[in-house]
Amino acid sequence: MKVTHSLRGRLLWFLLAAIIIAAIAQATIAYRTARGDADEIFDYHMQQMALALRSSAPLSNTDAARAGIDADAENNELLVQVWTPDGVQIFRTVSRAQLPQHAVLGFSNVKANGTTFRIFSVQTSSQTVQVAQDMAVRRNMAGNLALRTVGPIAVLMPILMLVVWWVVSGSLEPVARVRTQVAARQADDLSPVSESGLPDEVRPLVHELNLLFGRVRTAFAAQQHFVADAAHELRTPLAALKLQVASLERAEHPEARQVAIGRLTAGIERATRLVEQLLVLARQEASAAGGSKAQQVALSELARRTIGDLIGVAQHKGVDLGLQHADEVSVNGQADALMILMRNLVDNAVKYTPPGGTVDVAVRGASIVVEDSGPGIALEERERVFDRFYRIAGSEAAGSGLGLAIVKAIAERHGATLTLEQSARLGGLSAVVAFPKHA
Amino acid sequence: MRLLLVEDDVMIGEVVLDLLRAEHYAVDWVKDGEMADTALVQSQSYDLVLLDLGLPRKDGIEVLRAMRARKDRTPVLVATARDSVSSRIAGLDAGADDYVLKPYDLDELLARIRALMRRSAGRAEPIFEYKHITINPATREVMVDGAPATLSAREWAVLEALIARPGAVLSRAQLEEKLYSWRDEVSSNAVEVYIHGLRKKLGSDLIQNVRGVGYMVPKL
Repeated sequence: MKVTHSLRGRLLWFLLAAIIIAAIAQATIAYRTARGDADEIFDYHMQQMALALRSSAPLSNTDAARAGIDADAENNELLVQVWTPDGVQIFRTVSRAQLPQHAVLGFSNVKANGTTFRIFSVQTSSQTVQVAQDMAVRRNMAGNLALRTVGPIAVLMPILMLVVWWVVSGSLEPVARVRTQVAARQADDLSPVSESGLPDEVRPLVHELNLLFGRVRTAFAAQQHFVADAAHELRTPLAALKLQVASLERAEHPEARQVAIGRLTAGIERATRLVEQLLVLARQEASAAGGSKAQQVALSELARRTIGDLIGVAQHKGVDLGLQHADEVSVNGQADALMILMRNLVDNAVKYTPPGGTVDVAVRGASIVVEDSGPGIALEERERVFDRFYRIAGSEAAGSGLGLAIVKAIAERHGATLTLEQSARLGGLSAVVAFPKHA
Repeated sequence: MRLLLVEDDVMIGEVVLDLLRAEHYAVDWVKDGEMADTALVQSQSYDLVLLDLGLPRKDGIEVLRAMRARKDRTPVLVATARDSVSSRIAGLDAGADDYVLKPYDLDELLARIRALMRRSAGRAEPIFEYKHITINPATREVMVDGAPATLSAREWAVLEALIARPGAVLSRAQLEEKLYSWRDEVSSNAVEVYIHGLRKKLGSDLIQNVRGVGYMVPKL
C-alpha cells in the first residue's frame, strides 16, 4: 500500500508520525524541565541547610540530626563540613569522600574523587559552612523524578495512536463498504448504491453514480423491450410463411402452385423487410455518437437519389412520383442516416397512395417535404403512428410499422423536427422534416 | 361445417382461408374485431370460431368475452402471437376452448379444430360407428360393411354436419348454412341431392328424414 495513494494510509501515517514526534518533543521538554527544577530544589535545599547550620557552633550529632543531616554513612547525599576561621574542621558528616576546604563562597562545582560536586559555602564570623552534593547522585535523583513526569505521556501515546487508528478507519469504513457493495454486483445489477452514512465528500460522487445507473437502467430496459417487441412482431410474418409453405405442399395443379409460390415469395419479402427495418431502427437508436462522421449533406441530391431508387416501384403501382421543388441546401449530418430517412418517407408515401395518385418530394429551405394524395393520417392517430410496430387499422399488408419510428429516431439525432399534417395541395399526408437553421 | 375466421393479417388470412376450404369447411373471413362481433351476432350457425387476438378496432379478447356474455356456446380456437403464460391464462379464462400460438403447424390446427367440434357434439370417440357404417372424420374415410365408400366434398359436408349432432334434426336451411359461406351461390335443392347421394352410398337407415322438419342421424 503506497502511502500517497491511500487516503487512509496518508491520514494514518501523518497523524501517527505527528503523535510520535509530539510525544517525543513533549517528553524531552518535560524531562529537561523536571531536571532543571530538581536542580533548583536541591540547590535551595543545600543553601537552606548551610544557612541553618552557621548559626550554631560547635555542632553535635543531635544538632546535625535536627538540621536533617543524616550522619549515617549509608546516605551519601549531602556532605557537610564546618571550619573555624583558622581552618580547623570542627564538623563533618561521615563519608568516604574527603573534600578539601573550599574557599569560594556561594555555589560552585568542584571536581574531586573522580566525580563532580556541587558545593555551597557560607561564612560567618565564627565559621565556614560547606554543603556538598555529588552531582552524579543528584543527576540520578533528578532523572528519576523527570522520568516519572514523562511516564504518563509514554502510556498515553500508544492509546492515542490506537484511538486515531480506530477513528480514521471508522470514518473511511462507509467508503470501503460502498466499494465492496459495487464489487459484489452482477453485470446487470444497476440498482442504486446506498448513500446512507457516507461522508459529505463522497456522497455527491455516489449520488451522481446512482443517477448514471438510473440512466443506464432505462436505456437497458428500453433495449430489452425493443428485443421483446421485435421477437413478437416477427411471429406474424413467420406464421404466414409456415402456412404459405403448407399451402404450397398441398397445391395439386400448376396454377395453384404458382399462386402458392407467389404468396410465399411475398411472405419472405415481408419478413426480410421487417428484419431490415428492425436492424436500421436498432442501429439508429443505439448509436448516438457512432456511425459515419457528420458532414455537409446536400438535401436536393438526397431527394433525387431516393426518387431514382423508388421510381420503379411507383410506376409499377401507377403512382406519379416526382421532385416538385429543390432548393440547393446542405445540412450537417450523417449521409447514410439521412438517406434512410428520406427513403422511408417516400416509400411510405408511395405505399399508402392508391394507384393514380401523386407523391411530391420537395426541399424548401432546410426542410424536406413529402406530400401525397393518399388517405392521409387521421388526427387522433398522428401521435401513435410513431410507436414501433403501430399499424393503422386496415392498412397495407406489407408494412412493418417501423418506418415512421425510424424517421423520428434519425430526425431527433439531427436535431430536426418531424411534423405530420394534411397536404393542402394533394389532399393526403404532408410529412415535413425541418432541420435546425444553423445546421 | 361452417367456420368463422377472424384474422387481420392478410397473408395469413388468405392462406388459411384456402386451406380450410380445401378441407371442405365453409369459411367466412373477417379482418377486425367489430366485424367479428357483427358476424357472430347475426349468424348463430358457426361450428367453430378461429380467433386471432391482436385485432384492429376491437381486441379478440373483447370479442370472446362478448360472445360468452351472450351465452354463445360456439367453440372458439384462439390462434395468436401472444405467447406469455399470463396471456394464455387470460384467453382460456375468457372463454376460449383452445389456445394455439403462431406460428403453428397447419395439420395440428386442423386436428385441434376436429377435436373441438367433436367435443361440442358431445362425442369423445373420434370414430363414428353406426351398425355397419364406420366414419372417420380425421381421414374422411367411410367404410360400409368393411368396404370404403367415396363421397363428394359436399356430401361429406352434409354427413359431417349430421353426425356432429346425433339425434338432433337439422332443417334444409340449417344444412345449407353449414355448407355455404357468404360468397357461395346455393341452388335450391342442393341439399336433397346430397342426401340422396349419401343414402345411395351408405344405405338408407343412417340418415333419417323427419317429415316436414329435416334430417337427422340417430343417437347411438
